[in-house]
Amino acid sequence: MNLPAALFAVRCLVRDTFRQALASRVFWLMLVVSGLCIALCLSVHIEGVQSLRRPGETELIGPDDKPYTGSDPSHGQMTLAFGAVRLGLFRDAETQVHFLQSVLAQWVAGAAGTLLVLIWTAGFLPEFLQPSAATVLLAKPVPRWSLLVGKFLGVLTFVGFQAVVFVGGTWLALGLRTGVWLPGYLLTIPLLLLNFAVIYSFAALLAVSTRSTVACAFGAILFWALCGGVNYARHAALAQASVAPEASPYPPVFLGAVEAGYWLLPKPADMGILVQQAVETNKHFGGRPEFRAVLEQGAFHPELALFTSVLFGVALLAVAARQLARTDY
Amino acid sequence: MAQTAVAEFEKVSKEYPAGLLRRHVRRAVADVSFRIEAGEVFGLVGPNRAGKTTLVKILLSLCRPTRGRVSRFGRPVADRASLARVGYVHEKPAFPRYLTAAGLLEYYGALALVPYEAVLRRVPQLLELVGLADRAGEPIARFSKGMVQRLGVAQALINDPDLLVLDEPNEGLDLTGRRLVADIVRQQRQRGRTTLLVSHVLPEVEQLCDRLAVLVEGRLVYAGPVAALKHDPRTGTERSLEQALQELYENLPP
Repeated sequence: MNLPAALFAVRCLVRDTFRQALASRVFWLMLVVSGLCIALCLSVHIEGVQSLRRPGETELIGPDDKPYTGSDPSHGQMTLAFGAVRLGLFRDAETQVHFLQSVLAQWVAGAAGTLLVLIWTAGFLPEFLQPSAATVLLAKPVPRWSLLVGKFLGVLTFVGFQAVVFVGGTWLALGLRTGVWLPGYLLTIPLLLLNFAVIYSFAALLAVSTRSTVACAFGAILFWALCGGVNYARHAALAQASVAPEASPYPPVFLGAVEAGYWLLPKPADMGILVQQAVETNKHFGGRPEFRAVLEQGAFHPELALFTSVLFGVALLAVAARQLARTDY
Repeated sequence: MAQTAVAEFEKVSKEYPAGLLRRHVRRAVADVSFRIEAGEVFGLVGPNRAGKTTLVKILLSLCRPTRGRVSRFGRPVADRASLARVGYVHEKPAFPRYLTAAGLLEYYGALALVPYEAVLRRVPQLLELVGLADRAGEPIARFSKGMVQRLGVAQALINDPDLLVLDEPNEGLDLTGRRLVADIVRQQRQRGRTTLLVSHVLPEVEQLCDRLAVLVEGRLVYAGPVAALKHDPRTGTERSLEQALQELYENLPP
């Protein structure tokens, strides 16, 4: 194997895929969406009296220096769109900003953004691997696997660029307008990218096997949903077992299969927990009861969740590369 | 000592799985053996589905033979390094439409492992050669079929190949384009380089090729000089290549 040639090819493919993305309207559409979200964050303003929460404290402290329960009586407001929309503060400015960041990271980028990018990039690999397009490339001296890996990394580069613009832009805008600078929010960039990469590796395998854009798009979305479902089911089963161990409606075989599936497959729901932890919303809102129970039981291992997810993605990509290397054109 | 062949096929067969359950076998080529020597223009002719493109694909490591051995510059075709010495023109190339003509040549030059400085030097020369110098910065999406084919010829030459493989290179080309391809083949020969030409255009084969291989239904029925094929042994006169080939096609041994 000629490694320098392979690395050189990977670099060329990354650059080429980025050029391909730049030539697409969806690239600019996504930048516009990011721009709108950044503009929304720039329109945020916090109004109202001082919060009861003191810097560095998670809990509210009342005027009598004792923990205060209930909503913050400060009557502060967050205004959006330069005052057009007014929302009462849950507690204080920081909590409100963390909540907004959680919505942006989990729902706008993590759900809608990932779905849009999966659909859009689904055609990149199948088009690239069509015989009429690929034969001339495959007759070049670089290893076949490097062509697939290069294209894959090219898509990740583009997605990473969009994630940096979106998360970095909204972080900066919210920080400037509210004075709340949460470095953890920036951690959502690698988390979002990792989540996408793992799901996209399944699309890469489908692309090599079928060369069909439709199969890649639907297959990747279904796989994402399956992984999310297994991930959620595992946590729900654990939560239920902790509450009423004797009353579990599921047979042990099913629970074993869910547990095995959880460790084998990527874990999109765990990525969501990590995003929540990064933007610290878990401190203020608690999150879903199933996830909270898993966290309380110590059954959530972020390092292992990340490692096994990445391992699965790498394995899928390796299988796809091997299949491409053995395919007759 | 015999000179190393640029390409050598030894008892090469290729079978593809066929049928709904892929239990059947479709034979593309069977027991084909011939050599392509350095410096010659070698033609590969035959009717449709004779197995010509399959042999080209095997030579370019695009697919693997079911049986037999194939070497490129004396090395097994599995060794991809020697592909750096090969240029390939596909009959119907589909290039990334978002690239410009110059961008495409730079991209393919890089993947052919040509040093970047050499690529930058060669791109304007090649665009000039194929008559696209004035369209260098234009996206391929705006190119006609003939212009894309010219660009395909240019990309095949980006690494200054020792072996140029032309698979139906005149597809979609006008008269000027065909002359251009013929000139390129002649220049290759003058420089001692080798060309493998797959074509249905017999006058072109007759004019350009030194030797040729004739395939019918996946079997090799002739490999040798063009002049020898044109010589009619019964009358002792010279016949046209078309007549000679027609006779080969009709008198196929069982």
